[in-house]
Amino acid sequence: MSLLSIEIRKTFRRWRTYIGFIVVAGAVILLEVIIKLNETRMAQNFSHGLSGDFLISGSVLNAWVITAFIMNSLYIHVPFLIALVAGDMVSSEATSGTLRFILIRPPSRSNIITAKFFAMLFYTALLILFLGALCVGIGLAFFGGGDLISFQTGMPHIVILPAHVAAASTVMAFLAAILSMSVVGSLAFLFSTLVDNSIGPIIGSIAVVILSFIIGNLPFEFLESLRPYLFTTYMGIWQLLLNSPVDWGEVGKYALALLGYDAAFFAIAYFVFVRKDIKS
Amino acid sequence: MSEAILQTAGLGKRFGGRWAVKDLNLEVNAGDVFGFLGPNGAGKSTTIRMILTLLLPTSGNVRIFGKDARENRRSVLSRVCGIVEKPDFYLYLSAYKNLEILGSLTRKVKRDEIFGALEIVGLDSRAQDKVKTFSHGMKQRLGVAQAILTKPDLVILDEPTSGLDPQGMKEVRELVLKLSKEHGTTVFLSSHLLTEVEAVANRMAVLNHGELIAQGPVSDLLGGDSSYYSIQASPVEGAVQILRKNPWVEIVSVGNGIDVRIESKRAAELNKLLVTNGIDVASFAAKRTLEDYFLKITEGASEV
Ligand SMILES: Nc1ncnc2c1ncn2[C@@H]1O[C@H](COP(=O)(O)OP(=O)(O)O)[C@@H](O)[C@H]1O
Ligand SMILES: [Mg+2]
Repeated sequence: MSLLSIEIRKTFRRWRTYIGFIVVAGAVILLEVIIKLNETRMAQNFSHGLSGDFLISGSVLNAWVITAFIMNSLYIHVPFLIALVAGDMVSSEATSGTLRFILIRPPSRSNIITAKFFAMLFYTALLILFLGALCVGIGLAFFGGGDLISFQTGMPHIVILPAHVAAASTVMAFLAAILSMSVVGSLAFLFSTLVDNSIGPIIGSIAVVILSFIIGNLPFEFLESLRPYLFTTYMGIWQLLLNSPVDWGEVGKYALALLGYDAAFFAIAYFVFVRKDIKS
Repeated sequence: MSEAILQTAGLGKRFGGRWAVKDLNLEVNAGDVFGFLGPNGAGKSTTIRMILTLLLPTSGNVRIFGKDARENRRSVLSRVCGIVEKPDFYLYLSAYKNLEILGSLTRKVKRDEIFGALEIVGLDSRAQDKVKTFSHGMKQRLGVAQAILTKPDLVILDEPTSGLDPQGMKEVRELVLKLSKEHGTTVFLSSHLLTEVEAVANRMAVLNHGELIAQGPVSDLLGGDSSYYSIQASPVEGAVQILRKNPWVEIVSVGNGIDVRIESKRAAELNKLLVTNGIDVASFAAKRTLEDYFLKITEGASEV
């Protein structure tokens, strides 16, 4: 067994790991059922929101629109589910005392921390893909396909992606969302190597995420100068992929920034862990 | 000539301003069952953590199989295993799965080997049960199974009998002796119980307040044939008078009872002496606590 597969097995043998999947499933099913029950009224409101001269093929409320809508509503909440597992990745073994049993065996601490980090990324990716598959799957079953109408902050405000590109755009958006959420995971993972309890890293990383969301969105000039340094600024990367045309330069910049944060958080976690005195 | 399997040189660890272990020079030879004796807080676990690379020593170094343990961590630790403090496992996994995961960090382990290790500690029938359902004693035994799973040349056990009932303690001790005799494994065992070290070890070191007090063959350090006894007798004065008349009895203290030091083989003789002289002997027990041992060591030092 490779270290990575050991870490992944351990992660997926824990009940905690499934909380994220259960919450995601519950939320998505609930949202889509509610939308389905109010389909006509919501479609009317939605069409009113659009100026009259758009030509929309298929239903206005379709799988792609609803998926984008759910992603928008959940991307504040999903970080909790990521932190729940990532923040526990190292600290749970310190708390339970199993770290002592692992670290007296031959594999180096560098290899162990790296394997744990990739197991965390694996969980993050799986959760986001699960979210995506569920949104789209139920969406297609309930509402069918159609054009993806999305609301963007830039100009123009409303973007319509024709049905034949909507699927590809959605897939890319979810892949980007994995990258975006991996930063939350890395941060929680870093905190997890710093302390020997699980609550601290989970609360700590969520607090940091919320705080930087707030700082990044407050309309003060001196706070705006901070925006380029907040990782939350780049977490909206997936929305860029629902634009038309996609500004690939901007996507690249966001992706690099997110990867940079991932690398930085992991590097600190790595050096802390490799030098750490195991006192638990 | 026996070779040194484990050596510490000037090993020390400071937590904040306090030295938990200071200038420790241990030498464990191939084939030893080495008793590492010390009261709670003496620094036994801290020493073991340094030996197994969990803690970075503040001073000194550890050599295992003649190699620096930190510099050759991988090759050294592939031949060493143990338990550090209480046995903690993945509670949500079965005993089998725990051993599989931990063992596979050292090398490939076969199903038979896992069951073999579980059988040795009497847990084979519980292999598929989650460790969550195990008692402390069972976890302690699983800890031993984990330590011997990959058949290491050096096994380090940190107070493996703590929290066990007398029967459990006896089983662990027998297991240690078996490992040593049948497999030639070198065992380093820490304990706060003198009787335990005496029962299993051929060599020992005594640690107190982080410092090494004595090291050598158990028989030398425990004075071989003389030992302490505690006697409850009445009348006390009468008993003391009789004991005083016999130069082979050394009275250590007279309080509630009488503590004496005699050659072990004359214990029965002493008992008979008191009884035949009309003294009621309520109890007559060998006293072998670490405190007595410390007393003896400090006495020995002042005699020089
Ligand atoms: N992580 C730590 N931080 C501070 N002091 C510690 C730590 N671990 C152990 N100590 C201290 O070091 C001393 C030795 O402890 P320990 O090695 O656990 O003793 P033993 O195993 O012999 O009972 C004790 O005084 C203990 O309080
Ligand atoms: Mg201890």
